[in-house]
Amino acid sequence: MRPSRASLSPSPPARSLFPPHAPRFPAALRLPGAAAAAAMAMRQTPLTCSGHTRPVVDLAFSDITPYGYFLISACKDGKPMLRQGDTGDWIGTFLGHKGAVWGATLNRDATKAATAAADFTAKVWDAVSGDELITLAHKHIVKSVNFTEDSNYLLTGGQDKLLRIYDLSKPEAEPQVVSGHTSGIKKALWSSDDKQILSADDKTLRLWDRNTMTEVKAINVAMSVSSMEYVPEGEILVVTYGRTIAFHSAETLEQIKSFEAPATVNSASLHPEKEFIVAGGEDFKLYKYDYNTGEELESYKGHFGPIHCVRFSPDGELYASGSEDGTLRLWQTTVGKTYGLWKCVVPEEEGGELAKARVSLPGTAEEELEDLTSENSDSIYSSTPEVKA
Amino acid sequence: MGGSQGPRHLCPALVIRLPRGPDGTSRGFDPNSPRYQALSPVSISTAGCGNEASLEREQQGRVALRERYLRSLFAMVGRTIHFTMYERVNVSAFFDASDIDILNFQVSDLQTPLGVHREALLRCSDIISYTFEL
Repeated sequence: MRPSRASLSPSPPARSLFPPHAPRFPAALRLPGAAAAAAMAMRQTPLTCSGHTRPVVDLAFSDITPYGYFLISACKDGKPMLRQGDTGDWIGTFLGHKGAVWGATLNRDATKAATAAADFTAKVWDAVSGDELITLAHKHIVKSVNFTEDSNYLLTGGQDKLLRIYDLSKPEAEPQVVSGHTSGIKKALWSSDDKQILSADDKTLRLWDRNTMTEVKAINVAMSVSSMEYVPEGEILVVTYGRTIAFHSAETLEQIKSFEAPATVNSASLHPEKEFIVAGGEDFKLYKYDYNTGEELESYKGHFGPIHCVRFSPDGELYASGSEDGTLRLWQTTVGKTYGLWKCVVPEEEGGELAKARVSLPGTAEEELEDLTSENSDSIYSSTPEVKA
Repeated sequence: MGGSQGPRHLCPALVIRLPRGPDGTSRGFDPNSPRYQALSPVSISTAGCGNEASLEREQQGRVALRERYLRSLFAMVGRTIHFTMYERVNVSAFFDASDIDILNFQVSDLQTPLGVHREALLRCSDIISYTFEL
């Protein structure tokens, strides 16, 4: 039985105003800013966060805290970074790992961070001061780390094929070990209020009961799992393998639906309100799909290498992507809306706003806008901008 | 940007500035940030669970120890230091400098079983202890 396919972008309907790939905005636009942006048909301007010197392989957001929300990125340079989630501003770098960091996570209020690295350790950090708190030695490369909701336990998984549960109040004690995987664990996550564990290796997805430490269910996956995201509201598991973005029940592991992307997908994320999916992979592009219909809504070039991870922010207003090119990029869910560092431009003020655009878009952004060099768009950057049609 | 959006007349969404990157001089986690002030590490509790006097004493103690350590680094410059490291490694070298977070020591004429390295960087997390004579 074929799963539903992502529809290819349809040829333009009778309205020639909207070219094939123009963003379609949800019918219910709640905010004036978003409505004005829709009227303007804005072009996505991603925010590039530099600082890493090697590929970014994992990223995670915290929940929304009184100080905003935060983003941690895992990098092969061994130096995971913490950033302010809505602006991408760098806050600090966790120094101490001696090898590539493959996994990184924050606890809910972003007071603690955990990282999994190729130096055979997982580390727990104070995410306020940047200090290393605990080092947990493993027998092989560690790929995945995940806190329980109360931050008291850490789940790790890696190339030694074992799941480990550490009691963070007793870090010297031996962890509980769960065996059963027959190949290296790619990702391990707590689920169902931390009563169960979801884990993925090359060929299987498994569900474990935390109390009995036994396997509840396992399913085979057609190809090597590249990413997994657990969505508590609705108990949905988002899994990617090959070109497939699949959605499974986190309780039964049954597949709910799946989409096919144009190229191999390395990561996908579900919007908090379950309106959209974003996904990225080997063709360097980011895709945004309607979760309900599977229709491809938007796609963006921008990264200079394969995308390894994408995640929606906890409020769904932006999504972050990490790439082989060593950068993180932040993308707006609703293009043109005022949020974080993005500012909505209102059509009447277009002349003035666009003149300011020249100043506020420094040199490094120019190379991303290099295809804006037609005769029509030159005037955006001239000192006397003309009003665009 | 947003290459698949076709027609050139689409106006780019504006940004007020780009995200700030690492400052290149430290590992960050600004102690003056509101979040740090409010959630600062447990040992120096500003919530007043210690009294002012003991807090002040602890801080003075930390200052004195830190200053003493930094002076010891100065005293090491140009001297031969004997490093005891993991995996039963013992080496000696002339000490040149440390980096700001005391993560790496720059040394010269590092004597190892494999020979002498004219210039080398020792990872501090690999060092168990070191000694030198004044």
